[in-house]
Order: sequence, then C-alpha cells, then structure tokens
Amino acid sequence: MTHTRPDLVRARQTEVAPVEAELPDITESQITDRPWLVIVWNDPINLMSFVTYVFQKLFGYSKEKATKLMLDVHNKGRAVVSSGTRERAELDVYRLHEHGLWATMEQST
Amino acid sequence: MSAPIRRRRDGRYAVKLDPSVRAVLVTMSEQLSPLLGSDDPMTKRLFPPAYPTAGFEDAERDYRALVDSALISHHREAFAVLAETSNADSLSEAELHSWQSAIESLRLVLGTRLDVTQDMEPPDTEDPTAPEYALYELLGQLQFLMIEVLAAELPDEGSSEGEL
Repeated sequence: MTHTRPDLVRARQTEVAPVEAELPDITESQITDRPWLVIVWNDPINLMSFVTYVFQKLFGYSKEKATKLMLDVHNKGRAVVSSGTRERAELDVYRLHEHGLWATMEQST
Repeated sequence: MSAPIRRRRDGRYAVKLDPSVRAVLVTMSEQLSPLLGSDDPMTKRLFPPAYPTAGFEDAERDYRALVDSALISHHREAFAVLAETSNADSLSEAELHSWQSAIESLRLVLGTRLDVTQDMEPPDTEDPTAPEYALYELLGQLQFLMIEVLAAELPDEGSSEGEL
C-alpha cells in the first residue's frame, strides 16, 4: 500500500524564527514548552470497533487502552489520545484524519 | 457456512459477497471520488479541522494547504483499488485496507447526508431516505466484518511503536 503523506516536519522547520538577542522571554518559552494534545471527538457515524482498531493500529496501544480511550470518546464526547511536540501532534492529527476520525489539536493549559 | 470475509492460511483474505453488493460499492465510489476536493458540503466530514480554536485560523490554513491534496489522493487511491479488485475472490491485506478505507469514506459521506445521530431509529420503509439508510447500514456491516478480521491481526498487548 502506498502512503502519501505530506512532510509536516520539514514544512514546520522552515518556519523557525530567527533567534532574538533580546532579554529571554520566560513566559514565551513556557508557552512553547507546553505539550500539544491530540483530541478525538465523538461522532455518530464511526463504529466503536473501528475507533478502537485505529487507536491500536496508529499508536500501538494495547487493546485494553485503546478500548478505554474509545469509551471515553463515546461517553465523555472527547479523549486525549496522544500528546507531544506540535509537529508530532500535527502528524498524529493527519493520520487520524486519513482514517476518518474527528481529531483536533490544542496546547495544554 | 463460512464468513463473508475471512483470513486464509496464506495470509490473503477470502471475500464472499454478492455481485450486487460489489456493484453498489463501485458505483458509490465512482460517484464520490470526483467530489473530493470540491466544495460539496457532503464531503466536508472527510476534512475535519485540526485547529478549531479561535486565534489559530492561520495554523488551520497552513494545515489545510499542507494536507488536503494528500488526503484527497489517499481517499482516491482507496476507491481506485476497490474498483480494480471489486470482483476478486480474495484480497491481499493491503487491498483489504483499501476496501475498508473506501467504505469508511462512503459511510462518512452517506452518514452526513442522512444526518445520522447516535442510536437513531431506522426510517420507515415508506420514508424517502429508507433506501439510502439501508445502504448506510450495509456499509456499516461490511466495515464491521473487515475490522473484525483486521483487528484480529493486532497484538492485544499493543506494541511500542504504532504504524508510522
């Protein structure tokens, strides 16, 4: 199976801002360090067994963990399924979108 | 009686489906494939936002610019594989993944058009949406069977790395 996937990491790397020789902005660096959360939302179309399967397949989660996350999505309306750098989160969101899941990302507070 | 989709000893997947079911899958794929990438609101569900939060409009625009063409190719390729192998008695694992992916896309679009809700009752037989709803249900049953056989190949205990 061929797999077309945009090069998310490279695209982000071209956007690195020039280093500023100003006073270090601690607030700014704290904001940047906060991890990004990948969230899957409940939707009335996707089958429960399919959602569990996608979590196992994409993230290598055990069946137990994938099932728990699927039930969180189903019962609570959403679940955080992975977290990390912005680049990593964007790639995970893309892979979930490829599989038809309703995934978004936001920075943890 | 053997299951409609089952894994054979040689690793291929036997597919026993009525020709009319195969034909309807191909017809629906042919109808949806050209709509991908258009502004048709029925295809919206295949392109969910990554950054729905206010203040991230630029990030969302960048994300769309980066991924939409890849998402379209991914879905189109699944439809193409399904069309090419629609009459096959057996599928490779990759081909079965394509069938599953194509059926997922068809369900998302049909479910959007029918405006399905959680635990909704099927419409009455006289209802004008009844035939489409029956198709939606058929797609759900097929996908369920495919996920059952594909999930059986994943380790219950998980793996350190998922598929990249």
